[in-house]
Amino acid sequence: MTTPNSQTILDLHRPGATSALFHSVGPASAPQAPAFTHRRKVIGLPEVAEVDVVRHYTRLSQESHGVDNGPYPLGSCTMKYNPKRHDALAQERGFAAAHPHQPETALGGVWELYERLQAMICEVTGMDACSLVPAAGAHGELAGLLMIRAHFRHAGARRPVVLVPDSAHGTNPASAAMAGFECRIVPSDLRGRVDLAELRAMLTPDVAAFMLTNPSTLGLFEDQIVEIADLVHANGSLLYYDGANLNALMGVVRPGDMGFDVVHVNVHKTFSTPHGGGGPGAGPVAVKRALAAHLPGPVAQRVEGVACPLVPGPQSIGRMKSFHGHVAVLLRAYGYLRTMGAAGLREASMHAVLNANYLQHRLAHILPPVYRQFCKHETLLSGEKLNTSARQFAKRLIDYGIHPPTLVGAGCVYFPGDLKSAMLIEPTETETKASLDYQVGIFQKVFDEDATDEALVGSAPLSRKIARIDLNN
Amino acid sequence: MNPQPNASAADGRPTGYNVHTGDDVRAMLDAMGLQSMEQLFSDVPSSVRLGRDLDLPPLLNEWDLQRDVRAMAAMNESTQTHTSFLGCGAYEHYIPAVVDAIVSRGEFLTAYTPYQPEMSQGLLQALFEFQLLAGRLLGRECVNCSVYDGATALAESCWMMCAATGRRKVVVPQAVFPEYESVLRTYLEPRGVQLLRVSADPVSGVTQAAAVSGLLGDGDVAGVALQSPNVFGVIEDVASIAQVCRDHDVLLCVSVNPVLCGWLEPPGHLGADIVTCEGQPLGLPLNAGGPYVGIIACAKPLERYLPGRLVGRVHDLNGKLGYALVKEDREQHVARDKATSHICSNQALNAIRVAIHLACLGEANFGRLAEANVANACSLRARLENLPGVRRLRAGEHFNEFALELPLPAQRFCEAMRARGIFAGVPLPQALAGHDRGLLVAVTELRSETDLQDYVTQASLCLAGEGGT
Repeated sequence: MTTPNSQTILDLHRPGATSALFHSVGPASAPQAPAFTHRRKVIGLPEVAEVDVVRHYTRLSQESHGVDNGPYPLGSCTMKYNPKRHDALAQERGFAAAHPHQPETALGGVWELYERLQAMICEVTGMDACSLVPAAGAHGELAGLLMIRAHFRHAGARRPVVLVPDSAHGTNPASAAMAGFECRIVPSDLRGRVDLAELRAMLTPDVAAFMLTNPSTLGLFEDQIVEIADLVHANGSLLYYDGANLNALMGVVRPGDMGFDVVHVNVHKTFSTPHGGGGPGAGPVAVKRALAAHLPGPVAQRVEGVACPLVPGPQSIGRMKSFHGHVAVLLRAYGYLRTMGAAGLREASMHAVLNANYLQHRLAHILPPVYRQFCKHETLLSGEKLNTSARQFAKRLIDYGIHPPTLVGAGCVYFPGDLKSAMLIEPTETETKASLDYQVGIFQKVFDEDATDEALVGSAPLSRKIARIDLNN
Repeated sequence: MNPQPNASAADGRPTGYNVHTGDDVRAMLDAMGLQSMEQLFSDVPSSVRLGRDLDLPPLLNEWDLQRDVRAMAAMNESTQTHTSFLGCGAYEHYIPAVVDAIVSRGEFLTAYTPYQPEMSQGLLQALFEFQLLAGRLLGRECVNCSVYDGATALAESCWMMCAATGRRKVVVPQAVFPEYESVLRTYLEPRGVQLLRVSADPVSGVTQAAAVSGLLGDGDVAGVALQSPNVFGVIEDVASIAQVCRDHDVLLCVSVNPVLCGWLEPPGHLGADIVTCEGQPLGLPLNAGGPYVGIIACAKPLERYLPGRLVGRVHDLNGKLGYALVKEDREQHVARDKATSHICSNQALNAIRVAIHLACLGEANFGRLAEANVANACSLRARLENLPGVRRLRAGEHFNEFALELPLPAQRFCEAMRARGIFAGVPLPQALAGHDRGLLVAVTELRSETDLQDYVTQASLCLAGEGGT
């Protein structure tokens, strides 16, 4: 027999039970099934009393960890606090109960929201035009790359290659492949930056674009960005900005001013919309004027003071998803931008960078930074002083209620070369000094345990429902 | 002009959701032996710095923000201001209150992808149960943790068929939702996949197996991507098309309305190798178009071509059963440009909504719900067919949505009905209907007898007002 804390929803099945109030649904007067198919006999859904459904999922939630539960320094994912007021706003009935196939003039609030948010995203990124449609960061990448493809097609140029750094998020090469490009990998230099000599050599006439994350997934600002932009543009290629790490730079420096031609923004990172256990987020894509005609629709515009959708022209890359985009997510991003303002955004980025450097500094004696210099919003730390491993160190953090940092194979990044024992820590700006000091204390404690009781750290986590899971897939 | 410490907080108070006071910042800088925050940005070239404040609209406090968003919300009409008969990919259904209550819990809402299984057993189990229940509903056992929506689910599945067969043509009936067709083009044409079109029978609206069969002969067809019910609301003959697919050794993917699977045998039981759906009808609000959730269920041999996250049952060090993300070698963070898809963030919270919704309804009620849909739709359709000049546009069997041919342009009819408080349906594109008088009408369990009667009454008045054009 299953114990209460290992039950699945199927174990709670009691024939005849229900959690839905269906008293008024009429008798089964459905017509005969069409001749070529059959009435369904069994679906296999459990029948569960409402109280049991609620207790089941409440227990499952308690066996999960979100930003609301405690520190979540998962590098490159920007697990900052998600303001509750924005969740409430997203449920406004005028938006939540609106159908996407209502006539355009019956969705005036959607176009108003879109027109305002597009303008704010253009300002934050330094771009000229924006589409809010893409569903996630990777979806924004795909849209951006398809626009780059369309741009060269319309110019009659054949450029089938996209360059990505070896430290790029896995989504970059995967999106490039989906957009029909061949991927070539640009190595990093010893400073963790793009190797300029290699880049120069790789910029051949068949290169459509170079995709770059800045700061990179190693937490470093690409300080040769001006030279990189010049090289890329001199080759007739375009520069793509992966906005995953924009949280370090708001109001300080803008992708458009650094020379990027196409940008996507992860609103679930930078603009604090909740990650939802993996999604939904949203990945608006913004471009310089020369690429605006290729944006996926609908894009909102203001005509005589009234916001309305612009009919996509023949150069648009076409539709990216069923409907207009993640309206309920974008509403939250709007709320964030309106309650932070220019000064608040800049302060958020500065505090994000301050927090990462503070952690890097306080942890340096036990987990030295891989690159000994100021980091941006996240820092790559080395596990070389550990007796066990970065992985076991991370598993022991779980026992103290801290979500582990990003590791190779446990997070959406990839560390090039021999950095397999590194961990990427992104505290975000919404951790207080007290929280950071607490985390430093726990890291120190686990480091000491690692030195004195290797077996203990090696068998972590010990406080959870299950012990360590090792997967060979 | 360079950023200053506490640039915005002359009084030392943080802005927005920021947490540090001026004293905190000072103390942290002191600990690092720094004079100012500026030193942390010394690697940003001054030539590209912004050097001014971002030009954003004025700051709002909490109640002003609420007022501002409510004012925008009031600029939308909605299914609350109008009685809605809109469908074509998104449907207004009953959502038990339990669904919202559970997904509002911060442990689910503010978590990210469960990369650390020991700390995320509950989230993983919820997603595993989603996969399980969705697989049972759709009739294929292997389900991933969701993709963006119904259209991208179909597009990703077309690529699965191409990847699994090494072929680069997909047969797509004309009778799919226009939005789905354009997403298929966006996703597939850059990868060199050719879409072969086949039209439906002009009387029934059913895509004919013989017509599909005629396109499968050249040996480079990966599969067929069918939609049922299709854009005319007509239920496709999945079993017959599955048979011709088997005969020609090509794969079959069917995008289905998931509620239909409470009434009829699901495509997975009728021979479809892959079944996809828009999960919105299973507990998601309309949200003016999103976020929704795309679901893909496939047969075991195709599992390795699935996009995105997959949760599996695994054992911990002590042999105890648990859950973890599995088969990650398909995914972008491992396989990079060789991945089955680029998807990273998905629609996990909405997948959990679907699981809770299905658990709340349960076996018997889900079937009753589906039957209530078809019964309501039949009831309204029969009454509308009696109105002068109105007839079925395609005569095949329908579920909760059917297509009509009106005696006047559908757009004009919809505007007249809208003025009477009714969203009458979705006008069909001329390319599909053959004229501008085609209308797709959806009727779910939420439409009462009064709603149906009101539709008929108002429609009669609108048609009479048109003077029988």
